[in-house]
Amino acid sequence: MAAKSYNISELDNKLADRRYHLADSNPEFTQKILKTSRTIANMCYQCGTCTGSCPSAPRSSYRIRLFMRRCVLGLENESLTDPDLWLCTTCYSCTDRCPRDIAPTDVIMAMRNLAFKRDIIPKNFLQTVQLIYNSGHGVPNNDVNRAARTKLGLPADPPTTHTYAEFIPGIQKIIDHYELKANADRILKGD
Amino acid sequence: MHEYAFFLGCIAPNRYPGCEASAIKTSEKVGIKLLPLKGASCCPAPGAFGSIDLNVWYAMAARNLVLAEEMKKDITLICNGCYKSIWEVNHILKHNDELRDNVNEVLAEIDMQFKGSIDVWHLAELYYDEKICGVQKIKDSVTTPLTGAKIAPHYGCHLMKPQKERHFGDTENPMWFEELIAALGCEPVQYRNKMQCCGAGGGVRGYDIVHALDITNEKLINVREVGADAITEVCPFCQLQFDRGQIEIKEKFGDVYNIPVLHYNELLGLAQGMSPQDLALDLHAIDCTPFLQKVL
Repeated sequence: MAAKSYNISELDNKLADRRYHLADSNPEFTQKILKTSRTIANMCYQCGTCTGSCPSAPRSSYRIRLFMRRCVLGLENESLTDPDLWLCTTCYSCTDRCPRDIAPTDVIMAMRNLAFKRDIIPKNFLQTVQLIYNSGHGVPNNDVNRAARTKLGLPADPPTTHTYAEFIPGIQKIIDHYELKANADRILKGD
Repeated sequence: MHEYAFFLGCIAPNRYPGCEASAIKTSEKVGIKLLPLKGASCCPAPGAFGSIDLNVWYAMAARNLVLAEEMKKDITLICNGCYKSIWEVNHILKHNDELRDNVNEVLAEIDMQFKGSIDVWHLAELYYDEKICGVQKIKDSVTTPLTGAKIAPHYGCHLMKPQKERHFGDTENPMWFEELIAALGCEPVQYRNKMQCCGAGGGVRGYDIVHALDITNEKLINVREVGADAITEVCPFCQLQFDRGQIEIKEKFGDVYNIPVLHYNELLGLAQGMSPQDLALDLHAIDCTPFLQKVL
């Protein structure tokens, strides 16, 4: 992910060109993605190198090139309600091969962030949030593993939040700051 | 002795403790001391947390970074997923004032502040780094060469990609991991589409397991094609996907491979004379015995 921000007025003017937006498109969507992803999807010339590099493409209807076009055209609903949005393994092959130096992977991540704001999110993502909220770990320890660790001469619980539970309230404070746990509980309950 | 704060993550300590034990023991033999990073949490999972809200991902990873800043030690870790969270958030917050201010506002609630005073390294990259260890030093530490074994290297994604933001160079056909594998006395083999993803990342394993396994299956076909005795990687999540994934692939698709999957640290541990019991290889879903009989 590019660690820079683009605050260039000339560029903003170019990106504000809305001639190609359709009736059901939302130019703000493109801008929001630009801000979160810090990559310029508008540079895309639809060559398809991304889809050709994608390990998910040959086994599904997921087409990263299509999402790039949707981003540029501001097709918010079409992007966020497509279940294929969640088939990106974030392998960054498309990003490494993009001849326009765009990071399509980061466009997908930004779209997923926006989808979550509309409660569109697969359950497993929210379950990870709950696990980390409660234990600090997305994959918590268990008894079989504790026995194995002891045999190896390791402490039964690793020296993480598993041993030092006093750090968990701090983690909960961070997650609560963004109301992530409350939203995860609410969305999972409604399912 | 180079000292580092050892960031464990989740899957290594809680599913493959052999990865953790071997990292601590093998690194010590090449002059690297790993210190516990007390109170660390999940990195947090870049696929799951990053997809939900990148801001929470930044803040949670920053908390882990601050723990090491307080120790005044660089972080080292053994998982590509953790590398993405910890290395990348460190990099982003060091270079983006706006995001750093936002994160520090949240961290202030728990009396922490991200300063950007440390660096983050993957242990494999330290092993390869001449200034810290280097291939020759790894070679010199080997007491039981793993002669006769063909090993398929799996680089994984989040260590080296995206290439422009990292410092590993070419991501189409890198060869540095092969050098580390050859240093153990075994033969690294090339196979079709070596740099392909394992299929587990981005939350896909949890979202659509069949889709994830289909990607894994393609890799396994390519690995079997060249007659590899084992797969080695530097990411416990890839390890889980290849190892437990083979059981799931057998159930769902009926394809059987029985290719053992070992973390590079486990392989190095074997080469340095650690026993399979010292590495808890019995916790692996795929039986490592045929491979062990071949090399030990």
